[in-house]
Amino acid sequence: MSMAKLAFRNFKSSLRHYLILILSLAFSVMILFHFQTLLYSSGFDVLGTRNKEYIELLIQMTSFVLGCFMFFFIWYSTNVFLTRRKREIGIYVFMGLSNEQIGQMYLIEAILIGAAAWALGLGFGTLGTGLFQMILRKLSDLAVEIQFTPGLRPVLTTTLVYGMIYLVFMAKGYIDIVRSSVLSMISAAKQNEYVQQKQGWLATKAVLGTALLVTGYYLACKEGRDSVMGNALLAVILVTGGVYLLFGGMIPAGFQALAGNKRFLYRGQRILWVNSFIFRLRRNYRTYAIVCILMLCSVTTLATGFALKGRYETIVQFENTYTFQLLSSRDDLEGPARELIEEHSEILFDARLSLLYLDQSVLEADAYYSRFGILAYSQVKQLAQRTGLEFPFQELAEDEVIKASHQYLLSMITAREDVDIRIHGTTYHQIQDTSIPYLGYLQESSGYYIVNDQAYERLRSLGEEVYVYNYRIQDTENFAKIRDRLDQLVENTPENKTARIAMDPNSNELDWVKMLYTICIFLFQVFVLAGGSIMFMKLSHDTWEERERSQVILKLGFDPGLLKRAAAAELGTAYGLTFLVMAISSVFSVRALGNMMFTDLTAVNLVSAGVVFGILLIWYLLSVQAYGQGYRKNEKR
Amino acid sequence: MNHNSRKVAAEVKNLTKEYGARGFLTQVLKGIELTVYRHDFIAIMGPSGSGKTTLLNLLSTIDKPTQGTVILDGQDITRMSNKELSALRRDKIGFIFQDYNLLDTMTLEDNIALPLSLNGVPGKDCVQQVQEKAAMFGLKEHLKKYPYQLSGGQKQRGAACRALITGPEIIFADEPTGALDSKSGRELLECLRAVNENGQATILMVTHDPFCASYAKDVYLLADGRITCRISRGADRKEFYDRIIDVQATLGGDFS
Repeated sequence: MSMAKLAFRNFKSSLRHYLILILSLAFSVMILFHFQTLLYSSGFDVLGTRNKEYIELLIQMTSFVLGCFMFFFIWYSTNVFLTRRKREIGIYVFMGLSNEQIGQMYLIEAILIGAAAWALGLGFGTLGTGLFQMILRKLSDLAVEIQFTPGLRPVLTTTLVYGMIYLVFMAKGYIDIVRSSVLSMISAAKQNEYVQQKQGWLATKAVLGTALLVTGYYLACKEGRDSVMGNALLAVILVTGGVYLLFGGMIPAGFQALAGNKRFLYRGQRILWVNSFIFRLRRNYRTYAIVCILMLCSVTTLATGFALKGRYETIVQFENTYTFQLLSSRDDLEGPARELIEEHSEILFDARLSLLYLDQSVLEADAYYSRFGILAYSQVKQLAQRTGLEFPFQELAEDEVIKASHQYLLSMITAREDVDIRIHGTTYHQIQDTSIPYLGYLQESSGYYIVNDQAYERLRSLGEEVYVYNYRIQDTENFAKIRDRLDQLVENTPENKTARIAMDPNSNELDWVKMLYTICIFLFQVFVLAGGSIMFMKLSHDTWEERERSQVILKLGFDPGLLKRAAAAELGTAYGLTFLVMAISSVFSVRALGNMMFTDLTAVNLVSAGVVFGILLIWYLLSVQAYGQGYRKNEKR
Repeated sequence: MNHNSRKVAAEVKNLTKEYGARGFLTQVLKGIELTVYRHDFIAIMGPSGSGKTTLLNLLSTIDKPTQGTVILDGQDITRMSNKELSALRRDKIGFIFQDYNLLDTMTLEDNIALPLSLNGVPGKDCVQQVQEKAAMFGLKEHLKKYPYQLSGGQKQRGAACRALITGPEIIFADEPTGALDSKSGRELLECLRAVNENGQATILMVTHDPFCASYAKDVYLLADGRITCRISRGADRKEFYDRIIDVQATLGGDFS
């Protein structure tokens, strides 16, 4: 029989065993295909060229994340497969086959598996695009309408990327087999010997892990100005390391201590699953940590998506506080402007105030803006009354200021209160930072400080005073007409300067945020499915190893139900702990995100964690089911 | 001792087992009759293919006979459902397998306590009983070790402890010394004899090794699916061993 025939026969007869591997590889193909389809879909066209740089950055970042994910995912699944196959096809050593011939057999089988996964992945991908679009639509009406038209380019790119990564690991597997000793090959899957972990070493890892996690959590939530970006990156590294050490140190130490307490341990099937969990934890802790981090990424990504949606709506509202704004050195434009607007629309509200522009050289604060505006407390209060905006501030002392900022989508400056600024040599204490849009769109482009009326009078001589006229109109369909009419007032002479701001209510300037939101939902799906399938794959592999042990229990006369209950408890502990560590970590990661987005994301955190819980629950039930099937197969032997 | 005054642990009547399809039937056991009394220590010997493992499987409820009855603890196991058989195996029977069958995921202590814990015995009682049994088998200082840290003999003594811990009616041992060196085998057999002699166990053992069989009180020789001979031990084990060898030589066949 030729090598190819033998490999094909092996593949056919073991198809059921390979199914999990094929499905997981198909899953990674599907994810890549979805992303490629998204990339080449009409979704990006609607955004126009205006947001091109944002979009390109997003695509690059997402491609990088997806690339890393695929690389590790394929690495992981082919590795599990290699270990198992090495033992099974390693037996051919006794029939006189050389390592190279066994390696060739592995290669042929791997090609068949890879090809089956590729075909299935593209098939699922084509069928699933509709489902993906439906999920996006369900989650929000905000998501960009994407026309998924399966084309040749996504297929080709997906095939190329997947093929290259898969080839690398196939070659790695071949080299691994060729270099293996006979002994290592036939005992590859039998390295089950339990080496009890030393309590001292576990305790060291537990302490170190806790320290890393606590520091990571602290840094993630620590407010700051220049240090936030660095802190966030450091927090990611520390929390990742901490989670690894938690699963590799504290959790095994805790369970070993529990197993030492025989009164606790000797309670029904607890003796089985606690010991089994400890046994497996030594080899599986990295998997649990990876899954935990993937799930943490998924919760954070979903929270980012939800938060972006919220921010998007807030920013649109913020910018559209006024439909038109006039900025002028003249203080007599109120009447003429009103007349021009009322020709085409009723005015919902209007308000005027004076504003003092200071050059940056006069003010010592963050250097983001080149100009700063000073507003008088009583004028802002009056404007708030006219426009209906809230004004929750007490009368200011002479050395106090309130900063009026714009709405941030995401800011790396999270410490925004108790800051001192110096204006022309005098120190003012910034008691609050507000994003109530007193100046509407104008507030987006410059920094503004509200000062006490006396302080405003004192500063008047230092800068240039201008008047701001704000209008919100009723009939937005006449927007263009009114804008053109108001242009009559615009002038730029040495005596008079007047500028006009018009906010088109139908503008698509912020549409790139929609794309970001769509990508967040997409990545959430990737992370959550990847995490779940890695866990499922690993635990299914364990079930395969479990057959000898389950036979012993059955021989002793214990019923299969007991084995299933013990397995359910063990799997529940594995999934439950992973979820718990993820949920606790997510509180901090989402809070850090909330700080950067100036929003309370607790509800979003709860919803995202709830979604992940639901998905993990499904994976858990599937794992229990797989265990039951695996056990029944063993029983028939 | 007069058998009539002792309680029966297991009774086999006209036990027959056939394998194969109709027309190609092989009769492995041909109407076996056997009574095991409480505190017996019986060894079943026979050449390869004589049916000794089949007999053990039928007695221990792992296999079902073609004909005949097996009465264990007063109940006919041939008429019991799988669930009832599981319960019987769990509560009334202890097993010692050739390849130990200890779980590598837990310590020796937990392995021994396993049947008790799964039967819902409180933790405190489990610990106490494990300590007692381990002391009898010389395993007290090895309780915290995992199977991979134990020698074959220690593992098999551990398996014997596990078989005894629930106080079963009868213990079935399938070639218990098969994987052990002679010293470890002797230690295990001494332990089994001790627990049998102090009235704690009824043992039915299948073996091909006359030395191993000489630790039993009675040896049944099985040939061609029938019990052909029964040899009972006197006071001296060495003399018993010689007798077994003699009978074996007389009967012939491959006893490996």
